[in-house]
Amino acid sequence: MIRRTARTLRASLLLLGSAALTACGGGGGSASPADNNNPPPPPPSGISKAEAYRFLDQASFGPTEADAQRVIDRGYAAWIDEQIALPASLQVPYMRTLTPPGGALTPNDRLDAWFRNATRGPDQLRQRVAFALSEIMVVSDQSVLVNFPLGLAYYYDLLTQNAFGNFRELMEAVTLNPSMGVYLSMLGNEKPDIARNIRPDENYARELMQLFTIGLVELNSDGTEKLDGQGQPIPTYSQEIIEGFAHVYTGWTFGGSFAFQLPSFDFMRPMQAYPAFHATGLKRVLRGAVIPGGQSPEKDLQDALDNIFSHPNVGPFIAKRLIERLTSSNPSPAYVQRVAARFDNNGSGVRGDLGAVVRAILLDAEARAAPVTGSEGKLKEPLIRLVALWRAFDGKAASGRYLIDQPQVFFGQAPLRSPSVFNFFSPDYQPTGEIADAGLVAPEMGIVTEYSATNITNYLLFSIYLRNQATPGLVADDIYIDIAAEQQLAGTPMAMVDRLDEKFTGGRSSQAVKAQAVTMASRAPLNNPTLRVAEALFLIATSPEYAAMR
Amino acid sequence: MSTLDRRRFLVNSALGVAGMSLAHVPGAVRAELIGSSAAFTDYKALVCVFLFGGNDSFNMVVPRSLAEYNVYAASRQNLAVARDILLPIEPLTSDGAQYGLHPGMSGMRDLFETGRAAVIANVGPLIQPTTRDQYLNHSVPVPPQLFSHNDQQDQWQTLRGRAGIKTGWAGRIADALAADTGAQQIALNISLNGTTPFQAGARTLPYTIGTTGAPIYFGMTTSPEDRERRAAFETLLGENWSSIFSRAFARVNRRALDTADLVNAALATAPTLATPFPASRLAQQLAMVAKLIAVRDALEMSRQIFFVAAGGFDTHDNQVADQPNLLADVSASVAAFHAATIELGVATQVTTFTQSDFGRTLTSNGDGTDHGWGGHQLVAGDAVRGRDIYGRMPRLEIGGPDDAGAGRIVPTTAVDQFAATLAKWFGVAETQLDLIAPNLPNFAQRDLGFLT
Repeated sequence: MIRRTARTLRASLLLLGSAALTACGGGGGSASPADNNNPPPPPPSGISKAEAYRFLDQASFGPTEADAQRVIDRGYAAWIDEQIALPASLQVPYMRTLTPPGGALTPNDRLDAWFRNATRGPDQLRQRVAFALSEIMVVSDQSVLVNFPLGLAYYYDLLTQNAFGNFRELMEAVTLNPSMGVYLSMLGNEKPDIARNIRPDENYARELMQLFTIGLVELNSDGTEKLDGQGQPIPTYSQEIIEGFAHVYTGWTFGGSFAFQLPSFDFMRPMQAYPAFHATGLKRVLRGAVIPGGQSPEKDLQDALDNIFSHPNVGPFIAKRLIERLTSSNPSPAYVQRVAARFDNNGSGVRGDLGAVVRAILLDAEARAAPVTGSEGKLKEPLIRLVALWRAFDGKAASGRYLIDQPQVFFGQAPLRSPSVFNFFSPDYQPTGEIADAGLVAPEMGIVTEYSATNITNYLLFSIYLRNQATPGLVADDIYIDIAAEQQLAGTPMAMVDRLDEKFTGGRSSQAVKAQAVTMASRAPLNNPTLRVAEALFLIATSPEYAAMR
Repeated sequence: MSTLDRRRFLVNSALGVAGMSLAHVPGAVRAELIGSSAAFTDYKALVCVFLFGGNDSFNMVVPRSLAEYNVYAASRQNLAVARDILLPIEPLTSDGAQYGLHPGMSGMRDLFETGRAAVIANVGPLIQPTTRDQYLNHSVPVPPQLFSHNDQQDQWQTLRGRAGIKTGWAGRIADALAADTGAQQIALNISLNGTTPFQAGARTLPYTIGTTGAPIYFGMTTSPEDRERRAAFETLLGENWSSIFSRAFARVNRRALDTADLVNAALATAPTLATPFPASRLAQQLAMVAKLIAVRDALEMSRQIFFVAAGGFDTHDNQVADQPNLLADVSASVAAFHAATIELGVATQVTTFTQSDFGRTLTSNGDGTDHGWGGHQLVAGDAVRGRDIYGRMPRLEIGGPDDAGAGRIVPTTAVDQFAATLAKWFGVAETQLDLIAPNLPNFAQRDLGFLT
């Protein structure tokens, strides 16, 4: 008897590819643009353009002048509310419109959907938070999942849809998603068979706690580690508890399967339980709790997720992870505590309200205050630098698509393409030198090496000099920026650079950057205004100043 | 200006020949100028092959004698490698049992049998010698977060135990040898797999390169326009930015600019190796390591530590199908690399060794294994006292004397001992070994003896 289906299942996954998954009908379109019937503008917020840009560095994939104006008009809080209310721009409905004739959707189709929403989606805050979540609750196509781009898009869409929802619901959606099931081997996991030394797979049990929810050690409400009498951190769980959860996560396979061992391979709906393959004994879980024996797989799962969700670590753990993705690599404990408190209670007695958490992260005084010490903020994620360029200068292809091959080779990252469940970089990464010496972290520096720093700069150079509206011979899928307006000013480099910088950084570049940009623009021939703009934009976009979010 | 650059600038200024390459300065003069008292006169390299995910090494080196095989097979059940397809090895020192390598590892078998490779048995992170009972009774300290990927990768690479050490042991070797390797034109530590704690020093930085060499900055080469663009770009790298992140970012770009031309110019002089390398990512990384070793003199390198890696070893599922490919890749890649070192005439000067997150459970989860603790590692090179197994092979029995639970095997050799043996061969003074391997004083055997 074939005891375990996962092996054959994975072999089948390899063969199946995504061809069979594209047959289903198309969904709705993505979100409509922001409304045209603006109500009368509220009183001036007192937000400067530079401040609005700084806010949008944190809350979007890159500021545009239009978005900055909306922030100025509405104020931060109202802008956030407006963003939360916008419908989600999703990947699956768009990908279904692609329906390649006789072919299967590819990983590049999935990336197309991601770049499209990141660059053009009106729901920028939601897109940015979804990307942050995708770097916390990681699945990756550096695995057998490469064959299932639509399934991965469905996973990403659930992150997008739950970005401002309740964390407990997000946990459940992630847990039951078949891509996650395949990636961390909960799908096909079976009850133990002691006689054959077979026990449940511990992969998902471990990573759901270590990486997605509570972390390895007990935390104070401000995210700092609790210490025992010997000054040592206190583990949140033991091996026995891992095993308890591993037993919980047994009996699940693809939804709509004919039988546990005849799976449907349907990546587009939650997994489904088969009680005969579920471990029925009692399970020891967190904080001394026990899930009684004899329950259904569904009830066990609810109890287990409730048990994890109620752990006091979740608030500070998730608060810190999201702060690190959005605003700051080294938040003060007080900042973490304020955000964690909103996780614990959104003000209406609800625990796990991610919309309230995101609002707290962005509106916090520590996020809004101007930098003083120089260690505030963070390094921008390399991929976000590319999207920000496209957002500021309307980067698009004539075909409407965003087809980029292997962006991770250049940027050290690509959506759902981490080398492992540990994301592209570690939240604890400390580059040798003054950052480590100061006891600070710079997670994104983990993917900025001599090798990748060169490649990132090269890709930006290519995207500016060789992919703009004046580039001869552009083909339909070439993504190009539009710097025609700035070209009009090329005869007066100083004015041109000022205008360029207004548009790209909200006028925040230092005199040092602008002076070099003017010098380089002036050296380019007067009869080549495109080159003049490109020279200036390249220096701003690749400068150490622009690489950081202050 | 990077440390390297500053040194070269100072040297050149001292000679009054600004612009003159350091390579043209006689070695003795150079050593004097940079204040090195004990510059190495020979060349040695360590090559770390990190197997990310936790290699199931109990299927890599397997007992072949019937009694021991039966214990193994009873534990491993459907994941056991069939006895008759194991590749027999004949270690010089016998523990009474016979062993074989996984059938995909003929390259490693050949290296082992010709005395060019050895097995280090059941190594793992330990703070002090630890028995099963001591572990189960919590009566001795053990490294925190056993069985967690990133924490145990970190233990292997930093040897921090329960201390707050932030450097890696290769980084500390670079720190310790800084004065002796001061003439080297690029960093002692080179990674072909991105940033790694292993190579982080307190004072020294690793250099990261790709499998095709160092990428060059487009639009910043030698034309007049390019020179101007590069000058502007460099001016901005050199600003005293207010953000600590801007400064860190600038330093990486600065090092990349400083080093790429130097490295690529040297690589351009590399001989074409006759040794074929497989196409795998691991093999291609090792091929670039061979090239860099080939041009060691052009870069005035006397000591180098390379970091290469392969992924996919976290075989929670589909292990029976996946593991043969993983181990075959390791074997073929390391064997090709060893052949290249013979071709380059440096086989006694280059030692390759594996590391991995942890061994895996002897028990199965149906079609795979979970996170364990101790596991076997391989060392290869002509300085290796090969064809032998160092350390004690564990008893592969569920609930047996080496089992910490569910077939997680308690290590009987510490990573510190493994690292110290490699470091000592590499040229670290005996008095410095405790800095490289901080838990070493807790272990009687400071040198495992597998290197000459």
